[in-house]
Amino acid sequence: MKKLKVALSGQPNCGKSTIFNLLSGIDQHIANYPGVTVDKKTGFFSYEKYQIEMIDLPGTYSFSSYSLEEKIAKEVIIKENPNLIVNVLDASNIKRNLYLTFQLLEMGIPIIVVFNMMDVAKRRGIQIDTQKISKILACPIVEASASKGIGAKGIMKAVVNTIKKQKTYEDFKINYEELEPYIKDIQKEIKNSQINLNKRWMAIKALENDAFIIKYLEKDYPLIKKSLKKYSFSFNEKYDKDIVSFLASIRYDCANLIYHKAVKEENQGKETITDKIDKIVLNRFLALPILFAIMFLIYEISIVYGYKLTDYTWPLLAAIKNFVIDIMPKADFTQVPMMTDFAIWMINSANALANYIPIFFILFALIAIMEDVGYMPRMAFILDRVFKKFGLHGQSTLPLVLGGAMVGGCAVPGVMATKGIADDRARMATILTVPYMNCLAKVPFYTLLLGAFFKANMALMMFYISTITIFIAMIIAKILTSTVLKTRETAPFVMELPPYHLPTFKGVIIRAFQRVWIYIYKVITIVLAVAIILFAMLQVPGLDSKSKIKYEEQSHKALASFNKKAKKSTYYKQVDTKIEVSELLNYYDSYKSKRMATSSKSAALAIDKTFKEENKTYYKFIKPKKDKEARKINKAIRKLSKERKRVLRKMKNEKIENSLLGMLGRVIEPISKYAGFDWRINVAFLSSFAARESAVATLGSIYENNRNDKLRAEENMAQNSGYTPLHATAIIIFMILTPPCIATMIVVKMQTNSYLWMLFATFFPITLGIVLSSLVFTLGSTYLWSGLEAMSYYYMFIVALALIIGLFPNKIINWKGGFKNI
Amino acid sequence: MSNYTSLDDIKVKEKVTIIKIHTKEKLLHKLLDMGFVSGASIEILRKAPLGDPLELRIQGYTLFLRRSEARLIEVQKL
Repeated sequence: MKKLKVALSGQPNCGKSTIFNLLSGIDQHIANYPGVTVDKKTGFFSYEKYQIEMIDLPGTYSFSSYSLEEKIAKEVIIKENPNLIVNVLDASNIKRNLYLTFQLLEMGIPIIVVFNMMDVAKRRGIQIDTQKISKILACPIVEASASKGIGAKGIMKAVVNTIKKQKTYEDFKINYEELEPYIKDIQKEIKNSQINLNKRWMAIKALENDAFIIKYLEKDYPLIKKSLKKYSFSFNEKYDKDIVSFLASIRYDCANLIYHKAVKEENQGKETITDKIDKIVLNRFLALPILFAIMFLIYEISIVYGYKLTDYTWPLLAAIKNFVIDIMPKADFTQVPMMTDFAIWMINSANALANYIPIFFILFALIAIMEDVGYMPRMAFILDRVFKKFGLHGQSTLPLVLGGAMVGGCAVPGVMATKGIADDRARMATILTVPYMNCLAKVPFYTLLLGAFFKANMALMMFYISTITIFIAMIIAKILTSTVLKTRETAPFVMELPPYHLPTFKGVIIRAFQRVWIYIYKVITIVLAVAIILFAMLQVPGLDSKSKIKYEEQSHKALASFNKKAKKSTYYKQVDTKIEVSELLNYYDSYKSKRMATSSKSAALAIDKTFKEENKTYYKFIKPKKDKEARKINKAIRKLSKERKRVLRKMKNEKIENSLLGMLGRVIEPISKYAGFDWRINVAFLSSFAARESAVATLGSIYENNRNDKLRAEENMAQNSGYTPLHATAIIIFMILTPPCIATMIVVKMQTNSYLWMLFATFFPITLGIVLSSLVFTLGSTYLWSGLEAMSYYYMFIVALALIIGLFPNKIINWKGGFKNI
Repeated sequence: MSNYTSLDDIKVKEKVTIIKIHTKEKLLHKLLDMGFVSGASIEILRKAPLGDPLELRIQGYTLFLRRSEARLIEVQKL
């Protein structure tokens, strides 16, 4: 087996990643380029006697050094030294794609050009004579339609054939006419360079003022910058043109030449389907309503219908919980073994989160569809004017959407996606505002609170929550860009609007699964780790001896009362020891919870059967039917079960109150009480710092009944917490602003490259959150607002504030130069 | 105000050719890479619903840019 290294290059939207997946299948590896967050994908495949490693370069329009992606692409080619480059281009957008091809051809590395999306080109009546182009460019060309799975074999074959013929390869040269003498001069100047790169290419790049190449050359030729300046000046004088524009013109001329020689467009000037759709979707009057309608539809489908779906998945989770409880050591009346307690805690923590997986799956699938269809850049187009007003960028749309601008997302990929924003000021502002978006882990928290306190107005409240974040983010972005970020550099905003594509079912499902998996993975690692720590913090120091005695007395009393009642029954002998009573009690509770978790009659009968087989005597007591004596026992055991639950709940509450976490929650209660937060909510927020998922897990566990039953955490919370909807509103307002989880903080540190910004990103929102929620809670308590009213007023206030700020003119300095000292 | 006809002065659906780009460095590079070379023809397809940015066709594909950038592109009506 011979080993080959191939670099895959292409412009954005050319279908490069589809080609990549087609070639490597699942045999791929994703990592980061060192120090930056651009994905480095490597794939492997073998053909004939060759084992081929394929490096996926970032998608770039050009091969200069003006963006991070371009710098990385160049660095990979220089450092990895691939045997050849596979250049993918979009057959339906030839001219601009060839512009990159010409730059690649000059590098002196053999190239295979893949004309992808041939099916789209054909459909649009674009006829391409690829053989002719292959002759003109003197390089092999392969036709492909990667989204239909066509082209992999052809590419592999071309790779191997090209390698075999490598010795006959001759460098590709474009005649740059007037510039040629200058190129030759520089080539002469650097002819002794040790760098393993094509000299002519380096000369051209140097003339193009490519900072990356110049830096390389400067090591050996410290004076290179000076002579470049001289050349550039002389060219300017002589031809009244700058070199950069001149080079670009020639390359586009070359692309045009090929286009005219080998491409025929039948339907030129005719409306494409994309044009027709854009007429409606980007229509001056319809664009905004359509955009909001799409967003609202996404809430409806993912949150409302997804939540209904959880009605079907919840019994499944309840069954898992019951199973775990079954295999754990049984409780001896009110003495629950710690191991069982721990198992219940962990399964509750996991279930509270797993319950939302259907919602996430639907949401991710919808976002993947939006990405594939090509709506994302259109969103940037429609909303750029607004973003610009607040110092952001149309390109901020994607990070904000990933962060959760629509319903929910994750700040980690959101903050990472800011790398692509060329405008430094907008990038910084986006990094610092993405964490304000609705993090997916907040969604379960909201759904828990909404399910408990706003059942009738769930959709409206969710609409408030998910749309208010963007207004808050805008206000904060504006504040930041006009204060701390004022002096940062700004950059141009030029963006392609690719044609619409039908998403493939497979692609959407795979992406949705991948993202759900990330969520589950995060749950398993961070959240369960946090759950363990929290469990410990809730157990220590435990009940003091005085309380222990108190509860022991209470349980004795309950047992005695049972004994007294049971004595009246003729069956008393079967339950006259403590062990027997405890067994019967566990038997009764287990039966009850299992029956409640089933809805079908046949399943209920099956449960009856197994319990009857397990213990005929006890079964008689839990289902006494007409047996009068057994009914006496039944009544007594029901009462005892209720008593036990009461005692257990009291014990648990006291334990939590006295625990380390409870103490911490109490310490900050004097401040948080203005916002209506009691120590329980504080405990939930404290646990949310590690990962927001923990907040709902903690609340879920605190409000989940200790025994296995069907009551969900939100139902329990509404009944037993003593909170009003106004409390819930204050909690929601704080939660909307609360700081990002540790993972996000780390990413913020990476992207801003500063601990100071990280600390700022942590403590600014906490302060703001406590101030705003206190304000709303205090006002709400004074004027007796309902929770919904308070939220509505708050929403209106924020939206109005955002609008007022947005109307302030944004003054950008668009010029440079003049005298330095005036 | 600029003393040349800029892309921003052009009405929707009109076609123009590029004369010169009055900017440098980053923005110049970006515009050149996207196909804004002198002599290239541009058709303005539409304005965004809020009036900015502009959607246009160049080199056979569609893109959008802000009016503040369009102002730097000198054009000639066909």
